[in-house]
Amino acid sequence: MFADPRDYQIVFLASFLGLGIMTRDWSIRPELVFSLMLSCCLTQLVLGSLVKSTENIWLTLKSALITSLGLSLLLRADRVSTMILAGCLAIASKFIFTVDRKHWFNPANFGIVAALLLTPDAWVSPGQWGSDWWYLLLFIGMGGVVLQRVGRWDTSVAFLGSYAGLEIARNIWLGLPPDVCIHKLMSGSLLLFALFMITDPRSIPNARSTRIIWSIAIAILAFILRNYFYINEAIFIALFAISPLTIALDKFWTAPQFTWHSFDRTKTT
Amino acid sequence: MNIPRIIISLCLACILVLSFATKAIAFCGFYVGGADAKIFNKASQVVIARNGDRTILTMANDFQGAIKDFAMVIPVPVAIKREQVHIGKRTTIEKVDAFSQPRLVEYFDPDPCETPRLNESAINYNNVPSSAPSGTLRRRISTQDLGVTVEDNFKVNEYEIVILSAKQSDGLETWLQQNGYNIPKGASELLSPYIKQNLKFFVAKIDVKEFNKSGYQVLRPIQIAFESPKFMLPIRLGTINARGEQDLVIYVLSPKGQVELTNYRTVKVPTGTEIPEYIKSEFGAFYQATFQKVYEREQKKVAFLEYAWNVSNCDPCSSAPPTAAELKEAGVFWEDNGEIIPSNSRRRSISQGNTFITRLHVRYTRDKFPEDLLFQETGNRENFQGRYVMNHPFKGNLSCEAGKKYQQTLRPRLEQEASNLANLTGWSIRDIYSKIDFPTVQSQPDGNNPFWRNVWSDK
Repeated sequence: MFADPRDYQIVFLASFLGLGIMTRDWSIRPELVFSLMLSCCLTQLVLGSLVKSTENIWLTLKSALITSLGLSLLLRADRVSTMILAGCLAIASKFIFTVDRKHWFNPANFGIVAALLLTPDAWVSPGQWGSDWWYLLLFIGMGGVVLQRVGRWDTSVAFLGSYAGLEIARNIWLGLPPDVCIHKLMSGSLLLFALFMITDPRSIPNARSTRIIWSIAIAILAFILRNYFYINEAIFIALFAISPLTIALDKFWTAPQFTWHSFDRTKTT
Repeated sequence: MNIPRIIISLCLACILVLSFATKAIAFCGFYVGGADAKIFNKASQVVIARNGDRTILTMANDFQGAIKDFAMVIPVPVAIKREQVHIGKRTTIEKVDAFSQPRLVEYFDPDPCETPRLNESAINYNNVPSSAPSGTLRRRISTQDLGVTVEDNFKVNEYEIVILSAKQSDGLETWLQQNGYNIPKGASELLSPYIKQNLKFFVAKIDVKEFNKSGYQVLRPIQIAFESPKFMLPIRLGTINARGEQDLVIYVLSPKGQVELTNYRTVKVPTGTEIPEYIKSEFGAFYQATFQKVYEREQKKVAFLEYAWNVSNCDPCSSAPPTAAELKEAGVFWEDNGEIIPSNSRRRSISQGNTFITRLHVRYTRDKFPEDLLFQETGNRENFQGRYVMNHPFKGNLSCEAGKKYQQTLRPRLEQEASNLANLTGWSIRDIYSKIDFPTVQSQPDGNNPFWRNVWSDK
């Protein structure tokens, strides 16, 4: 249907947002979503014109919209100013922390961590998706399509596999019944993170082997932060801490860099 | 080429945002009655006052059996010393419950033949209390070393408290049994994960002599203060007896904002619905049925938010907001001593506004709540209350033109209220209709009144 995978991402993320708002008890207000969208898109336009970016303005706006939808899905705040800060910093991170067209941080993740660290009223709601099977299937199905389009499904599999492995091992060691672990892993936020956040090709390593090591490192750090330091935002902090390694890993393992333009060319021909 | 597509995407996003259903509810009206925690069988109540890693936990003991049979075992994140334990007042929890309970507010329709004027009134009523035992104590035998370390052992008023750490759950189970705590079979399986996570066990029973001397009729709540990043409540031990569904009402007091669960969904109870006036006399039963319906709708696996508000005010108030002293008794340690501003109006306030209360109601069973409850404090300062609205129809002379019009609009309104009630509670609409005092409407020549009403008066 769409030639550009970003269109799929926009549609999927927007439908998740709609689904969450309509069927879940989310404490997200329209003005917060609007402020995220506006701040992301405006920052993109302003900074894009300042650095005289050669990229198609509409395509960069699409990326900004994806970031704002990701933030709307995962970040919660009491004040509009917090959301504006998150949106602006998320997009600004793309311009500030960048080497050879690769970002050090996933923009939405940067926005989330910045809001958590810099403001008193931001939080993430890991429990608010619930653990319904229906959502699990929906996420996997839709995420799968996006990943296949983008070609970075391996990070999701490596992350989910190692994270689940660690949780299962801990569950067995503690002598807890299996349903405790299943309940823990059946989290909508975890899947959303694994399928849509750590698969962003512009901020993950280029070579498959390094991507897998990178994903496992995030899983281990997230597991430790969650279970031994009781940090609810463990996955986001873990990605934030390990993300800059992408640049180093790309230096040692070279592989063809991902570019959205291959899709643009397909589309125009 | 890309422009239409991105515009479509943007439009889609905008439509999504506009599809939010935000209801503007004016919080006025008058408090009539509430559904306190007592209306729920087996409801345990816990007050958690938490700021950062510091916690004061207050546990109500609604133990109804013989006092000598009382015993409780609670996993705690750190070893508790004598000075970290305090025996609180029962009234403290009652106060917090009364302040945060789901409430019924009432309005009186004005006389349509006169200039509109709002009349209000308040009526209090009582609910039927009931509760269940939490454990039994049978005999006392001397302590043996079973890989169990008695970290501390002390008396606080009528309570005898032992702080234990253990290496093996079997040893702990045996120790508890040998020391007269009649814990059920299978306990070691549930105790084991806590031991491996290095949790300690807070074990309490009653010194009957001391209790009799104290002159209290009921057990007072135990309060413990500790510092730990773990913000959780162990409920797995509560499922040990497989007693079916258990109600737990948690009042969290914190300086920042609402508290929610991180490993279960937190869902708001229905609120703001207009219901028939007869519910005034059976509000307890109404709220129980409403809660049961929404509990089943959510497949019995979510926690419910019943109240979230800054404690310095309320609207309408089910009881006066807690004073600074009462908050302190409930464990709030971050507030400076504030003074009450005496007020006869519906809005009362105290000078300090640094405490937010979240009332969560969890009805749990072993299969739907496999994990202990994990919480987090959020920056969400949105107010919420379980609130139900009752409008009393005007009962006076309606002979004027406006009065006749009012009478015509009244019946559909009462029908709507009946339908709301049926939707909320699952009660039969027929039963509801039989309890509503529908007005007899004079036949109207104009078309507003359906013709069949004149023939079938029950419609």
